[in-house]
Amino acid sequence: MTGSFLNAAFFDQAVLGITPVLLAALAGTLSERVGLFNIALEGQMLVGAFAAVAGSHFGGSLASGVFAAVLASTLFSALLAFGSAILRGNDIVIGISLNLLAAGLTSFLLRSLFGVSGTFSDSTMAALPRLRIPLLAQLPVLGRALGQQNALVYLSWVLVIVVAIFLARTPWGLRIRGIGEQFDAAVTLGAKATRYRILVTLAGGALCGLAGLQLSLGSLTLFSENMTAGRGWIAVAAVMLGRARPLAVAAACILFGMSDALGLRLQGEGLPNQITDSAPYVVTLLALVIAGLRERIDAARVVI
Amino acid sequence: MSLTTEVALTHISRRASSLLPLLSAVIVGFTVCGLIAKAVGLSPLLMLTELIKGAVQGPQLFETIARAVPLTGMALAAAIPLRAGIVNLGADGQMVLGGCAAAIIALYLPAPDIVRLLVALLIGAGIGGAYAALAAAGEILANVPLLLSTWLLSYPARGLCGWLVRSPLRDPITAWPSTHRISAGVRLANLIPGTPINQGFLLVALAAVLIVFLDRRSSVGYELRLRGLNERFARYGGVALSRQTTWLMFVSGAMAGLVGAIMILGSQFRFTDGALTAPQYTWSGVLAALLAGGEPLGTVVAAVLFAALQTGGFAMERSVEIPRVLTMVLESIIILFLSMRGAIWRRGR
Amino acid sequence: MAFLEMIDIVKRYPGVLANDHVDLEVSKGEIHAVMGENGAGKSTLMAILYGLQSPDEGYIRIDWKTVFFRSPIDAIEHGIGMVHQSFKLFESLSVWENVVYGREPRRGPFIDAAASRRQVAALAERHGLPIDPMARVGSLPVGVRQRLEILKALYRQVRVLILDEPTAVLTPGEVAGLFRVLRTLAAGGCTILLVTHKLNEVMAVSDRITVLRDGRVTERLLTAQTNAAQIVRAMTGRNVLLDVASANPHPGAVRLELKRLVVGGLGRRAVNDVSFTLRGGEVLGIAGVAGNGQSELVEAIMGMRPCAGGNIVLNGHDITLRSIAQRRAAGVSYIAEDRIRTASAAAASATDNLAFGFHRRPPIAVRGLLRISEMRAWARTLIRKFEIKIASEMTPVGTLSGGNLQKIVIARELAHDAPVLIAEQPTRGVDVGAIEFIHSELMRERDRGHAILLVSAELSEILALADRILVMYEGRVIAALDRAEANESILGLYMAGGEQQAS
Repeated sequence: MTGSFLNAAFFDQAVLGITPVLLAALAGTLSERVGLFNIALEGQMLVGAFAAVAGSHFGGSLASGVFAAVLASTLFSALLAFGSAILRGNDIVIGISLNLLAAGLTSFLLRSLFGVSGTFSDSTMAALPRLRIPLLAQLPVLGRALGQQNALVYLSWVLVIVVAIFLARTPWGLRIRGIGEQFDAAVTLGAKATRYRILVTLAGGALCGLAGLQLSLGSLTLFSENMTAGRGWIAVAAVMLGRARPLAVAAACILFGMSDALGLRLQGEGLPNQITDSAPYVVTLLALVIAGLRERIDAARVVI
Repeated sequence: MSLTTEVALTHISRRASSLLPLLSAVIVGFTVCGLIAKAVGLSPLLMLTELIKGAVQGPQLFETIARAVPLTGMALAAAIPLRAGIVNLGADGQMVLGGCAAAIIALYLPAPDIVRLLVALLIGAGIGGAYAALAAAGEILANVPLLLSTWLLSYPARGLCGWLVRSPLRDPITAWPSTHRISAGVRLANLIPGTPINQGFLLVALAAVLIVFLDRRSSVGYELRLRGLNERFARYGGVALSRQTTWLMFVSGAMAGLVGAIMILGSQFRFTDGALTAPQYTWSGVLAALLAGGEPLGTVVAAVLFAALQTGGFAMERSVEIPRVLTMVLESIIILFLSMRGAIWRRGR
Repeated sequence: MAFLEMIDIVKRYPGVLANDHVDLEVSKGEIHAVMGENGAGKSTLMAILYGLQSPDEGYIRIDWKTVFFRSPIDAIEHGIGMVHQSFKLFESLSVWENVVYGREPRRGPFIDAAASRRQVAALAERHGLPIDPMARVGSLPVGVRQRLEILKALYRQVRVLILDEPTAVLTPGEVAGLFRVLRTLAAGGCTILLVTHKLNEVMAVSDRITVLRDGRVTERLLTAQTNAAQIVRAMTGRNVLLDVASANPHPGAVRLELKRLVVGGLGRRAVNDVSFTLRGGEVLGIAGVAGNGQSELVEAIMGMRPCAGGNIVLNGHDITLRSIAQRRAAGVSYIAEDRIRTASAAAASATDNLAFGFHRRPPIAVRGLLRISEMRAWARTLIRKFEIKIASEMTPVGTLSGGNLQKIVIARELAHDAPVLIAEQPTRGVDVGAIEFIHSELMRERDRGHAILLVSAELSEILALADRILVMYEGRVIAALDRAEANESILGLYMAGGEQQAS
């Protein structure tokens, strides 16, 4: 590929695409580690995206948007915590219904609060400002992608490290890993397993709120129905691919962001967007297939 | 007390004990939706009356029946694998592929009208089934969970059909990206003049009766049910899980594809990008199947009720301007409430 | 002198009185055995002491202070530790992480890993429990895992240590080692509660014995002043020991033959080069400490696990590559070890459970359609024949007791009338009456000329039923004996891998 094909805009686009998926995938990673299968990421994100726009529009400031996104998504996640952590219901059924609830609720509120269907945008709203990181911003080609992003993008990178250290090195991380691996064993050692599960679910909600915030106010300032477009599911796939290890999950998210940007780039080259839009999903599927096949081959090697 | 009356009594009490949570879920659902409506300044009472009137009053009843046809079809598509504990979240893509294939056959197959119609239905179902079976292959050969693969496969399917009707198959006269109009002879005939009910009703009704019967009385239905209760047990008893997953997914996808074909050949008459997925039959269908835990008769009942809810939603939106998506909120709250109470489908795979 | 007292404990479960006014009194530094058959109520009593269950009546006193445990956390606070029968360990974590879990030494917000490792190593050293603090638990053998469980309790400074059937997974040599550790602990002032149903162990290590039967205390004994017969009488209410009188075997044609079978596993081969023949009319017993490849062997024969090498010949057909259904059709039926997870569907009715496997052929199915009335008649017949206590054939089997559920499984598998029967731990966790019933059913199968492969971790069961015995150790068959030449001590030696010593 030529240098002009993988240009500054490509990498910028990739980083933008990575961020929401990465934040949601971190939420999914924490859930997975504490022994809950969270497939409601999509819905949690969507609620965050809507609340960001609504908060920013009615509160009149970016700060109110940020606050609303995190609060709404965390409250929404309380339903998940109640159903799957406290009542131990079926996490797949709860996840599916929460996703549909989020889709229905945001569409309903979009129509009844803003009187529009499809997309709401408000040009007076401010997007998250881009910050210049002195040295990174001057890099050739990658400068814009790595050194001129908004605070949330940088936060997401820091959070990957924080979550990794939290899980590996702190007492709370150890307890979470134990609860996820052997719930009964953790309980008999006196770990307050249900409390950990609730807290992790709520923290995951906050992370998904940030993911939604990045979607709706990260670079554009709009909300459209179902704007998460499967990113929550791709985050679920990333957690699987990375086996719930934060750095590996982040790597899977980078793969997604690159394929997202590649799709857009190919569209610029004249390919129809209906086809290129599918790129991230197809790449995710292929990654899952390859990972699965490798696992099988490894398993076969273990055999003898 | 004789043995049979005792069994009959436990049967009735089991029915009653499963209806109670259902009833409370419905009440909670309506209450929450009423509160949501009230919070944004709409009248909950108006919502309720318009919803019910709009679902069953006069000609609206036929509208509900017409809507129940695709919704029941999609609900069965979800229920068939769910009975064995498998979730198919990709029925959207399978339905679109089926509908698109049916439109192409109906438009371009050089054959007599009736042949075209039948082939269009068959190919529509076949394509949907094959696409769903692809996800099964992914799980069997590469351990890709069906939950993810079915969902992710939906996007390229919809993208492909969206591109087809924009470029090679596009009817330039229309404003929307869609195919040419299917000629009258290749359509499913209307059953009751003046209503939107067509032969698709018979096809879905036939499928529903067949599925309910097989579920209750056939060896295969029994195997699926026990697999849903304990997959390890089914395997231990000799059920070939992989093979069963493959054909289950095929049948599920074929049902979805058939619904797509029926909608194209029975009411839309051309394949328009996004028109099949817009009414959200897939998701109401999934919720209906979850509500009944995959039990086919219960699924059909739930699907018909959800269809009434949707029709009422449209009427409510027209007459009092309460957005109809509130019905989707209502449906998901009902399922959410039930799943939390553990009343449905305790544990997945 | 009492240090720990459980007073007037009552615990009811739906339909069962698990503890019926039980009193238990234990002194400081004593090794106290709690004995009883399966279902006698000893597990419930210990669960109450460890805070996993709360009693309906009665209370607990430690050091003359009344205590109430709402959860294990409270019990741990009061210095009570428990080593469960099925270990509760985190396999992906290291030994030290398992030990310090929940009480981690810290440095700032982080775990002080170095200090943790030091403490664990020191603790292990002090109590004579050699273990590598850095080892990953998943790779440890069973005996070491038990050491780890004891270390976990010691790390929490237990004053009372409960061990639930601790010797079930150990070789006789390891048992002796465990008893040495227990005596040292007791000498150091730790009170030990040993829950078991094995007589010789109790006689060897305990100071006093409390015997339970049907939820009630039937006897309190000083070990030094009692004998095995007295304990058995207290446990079973009868004088005789279990012993199935079996006629000499009349082996017939070869029914099952394994040729150099290999099954893969994590780290090493789960089954390594196993060959044997099984004839009609004989019982071949597979002895061994749990986890030495017996389950994998059986699953490979049934087709539930792939073979990496070798052949399986069933009734003259090579079935190595056949599906589970084809193998069953070729004449093998299988009583799986785990009746709840594998061999039944708890939420389904007895009818559904009993008809499974018969649902594709007459009389239950005709042309692919079920005949419901035949199905229920079939279930009623089996329920009657196997004396299964159940309300009706439409009752879900998840409500049944262990013994009755096991009878459902056995009824179904025997109904296949297959020439080969694989019975894996057929009497684990069932009451005495059911054990007797199951043993006599198995012997009847044998005397009808059927071939039986019996896998059991209970030496007494193997010695009572098997005509020939194979001992598995680390995936290999390391000994083949006739019943006449086998006894507990010889088998025990082989189970510990003691090839050289034995020969």
